[in-house]
Amino acid sequence: MTPKPKGNRFGFKDLGIGIGLRTAHYGHILSTWPKIDWFEVLSENYMDTGGRPMFVLDQVAERYPVALHGVSMSIGSTDPLNREHLKKLKTLADRTKAHWVSDHLCWTGVLGRNTHDLLPMPYTEEALTHTIKRAKQVSEILERPIVLENPSSYVEFAHSTMPEWEFLARLAREANCGLLLDVNNVYVSSFNHRFDPLEYLDAIPADRVVQYHLAGHTNKGTHIIDTHSDHAIDAVWRLYAHSVKRTGRVATLYEWDEDVPPFDVVLKEARKAEKFRKGLAQ
Amino acid sequence: MRLGRLQKWMQAVVVHPGTTRQALRSPEAARHLAAAKLQTVLLPSPTLTPAERIAIYQEMYPLRMRDALAADYPGLEHFLGDRFPEFVAAYAAVHPSRGYTLNRLGDHVPAFLGRQRRLTPRAFLVDLARLELALTEAFDEQESPALDAGAIAAIPEAKIESTRLIPVPSLRLVALNWNADEWLDTLRDDLHRHPRPHKRRSFVLAMRRNYALYRLPLSEAGFCVLQDIVAGHPLGEVVTRSLSRRGAKRASADDFARWFRLWTSEGVFAGIRKGAGSKKRA
Repeated sequence: MTPKPKGNRFGFKDLGIGIGLRTAHYGHILSTWPKIDWFEVLSENYMDTGGRPMFVLDQVAERYPVALHGVSMSIGSTDPLNREHLKKLKTLADRTKAHWVSDHLCWTGVLGRNTHDLLPMPYTEEALTHTIKRAKQVSEILERPIVLENPSSYVEFAHSTMPEWEFLARLAREANCGLLLDVNNVYVSSFNHRFDPLEYLDAIPADRVVQYHLAGHTNKGTHIIDTHSDHAIDAVWRLYAHSVKRTGRVATLYEWDEDVPPFDVVLKEARKAEKFRKGLAQ
Repeated sequence: MRLGRLQKWMQAVVVHPGTTRQALRSPEAARHLAAAKLQTVLLPSPTLTPAERIAIYQEMYPLRMRDALAADYPGLEHFLGDRFPEFVAAYAAVHPSRGYTLNRLGDHVPAFLGRQRRLTPRAFLVDLARLELALTEAFDEQESPALDAGAIAAIPEAKIESTRLIPVPSLRLVALNWNADEWLDTLRDDLHRHPRPHKRRSFVLAMRRNYALYRLPLSEAGFCVLQDIVAGHPLGEVVTRSLSRRGAKRASADDFARWFRLWTSEGVFAGIRKGAGSKKRA
């Protein structure tokens, strides 16, 4: 029997159903102020600009709840943490009154380089200890618990000693961080690495899940690429339905980053989540 | 394999511009792991070998770099056409991203192009890139309200000579030896009626106003005057210096009134600084 959800331990609100703030939709948003619960904002796109992106974000943040989502924290890298990045991230979070700040369980580069890819971690005790230490440091600098997202991945390391879900659960508990559970990523990785996605979802500490991601992907036959370029397939919605019963209603966000369709198409896709959230407690 | 070594190896493979086989055998990767030992680090999937799995990351890296540079240099991308991917690969190998955003990835493009003998006409490409870089920089600068025309008119006559004009932060001045500005005007021409690159001295002001980028052609004399204003010379000196120049660099007395009316109405100035030490912003 599925235990009754109690909500997340951080007290982060269920913001409802949102979509990512994307350049292609700026005009529509500014001219119509559409009815939508919240927006997720790609942090790095707004850190170093005083131009139109920031002008749009300021107005969006005045009218809608926002959460920040980054791609360059490189929490698992063996390079030192980039304190300038974290300082600017905190400034942006304060400026936009972001409900939380998230990034990915991954590394993006070493030796001072940034590949701008979300590269996978080996799931070892060494990597876990390293990531816990850094997640604690990040939360301290940001003055809020960092929220980390499970990645999609295309390689598996031979020397991993635990499955990804165990790594993620232990990281969340030991670093006291929140989780952004990307159900599409679970599906993509389960296909690529042939594991049971339900086993993954059931191992995630429900009280640490503060946000969901949903998205479409591209199935190449031999493997799946997480492209955020389409509608989510039914199997992904089924995983969401399964997980949300464990976590209760949690802020849910639809990502569409390639071949971005009109705003209303993305919003309609996001709102498919409503039927699975109905009747559940936060 | 320890985490640091694993990350250095994987990065060396992912950013390598050649084939995956070449990447795995490259000195940068082989320093950390011999190609023959790949299967000791990466597992195969039922459908992909370890090399095919890491190739997914390696193939995505140049695409990301290409997208980032194409966004900042649409003219260069269009002009180079099929040669653009090769150019990006060569550029990213010499100037990899070291920042948390890709916004500044292309900062070295004009200088890099200047060293590429195989790309012709090289001097035209350098000018095109310099102009596009100026626009990219202007895009991200802080927005600043433009100085009201009345503010300049209100300066007491006795103080005009010692007054300094403060340009808007997004202002960029570009002197070109080739017709890159004219060529860029035709970028969105679906029929590709681009002028043939040829030598032509021209002067361009690039800036952002009301969050939109635009370019304004300048005479050489006007360009020199604006350069002096940007350098912080008081208006008296700006005029004296201009009148003392020869040929096309020399302004006439009539030019000043016309230019300042135009530049003020175009929002080129953000404020005035009267005399020594005192500051006033519009």
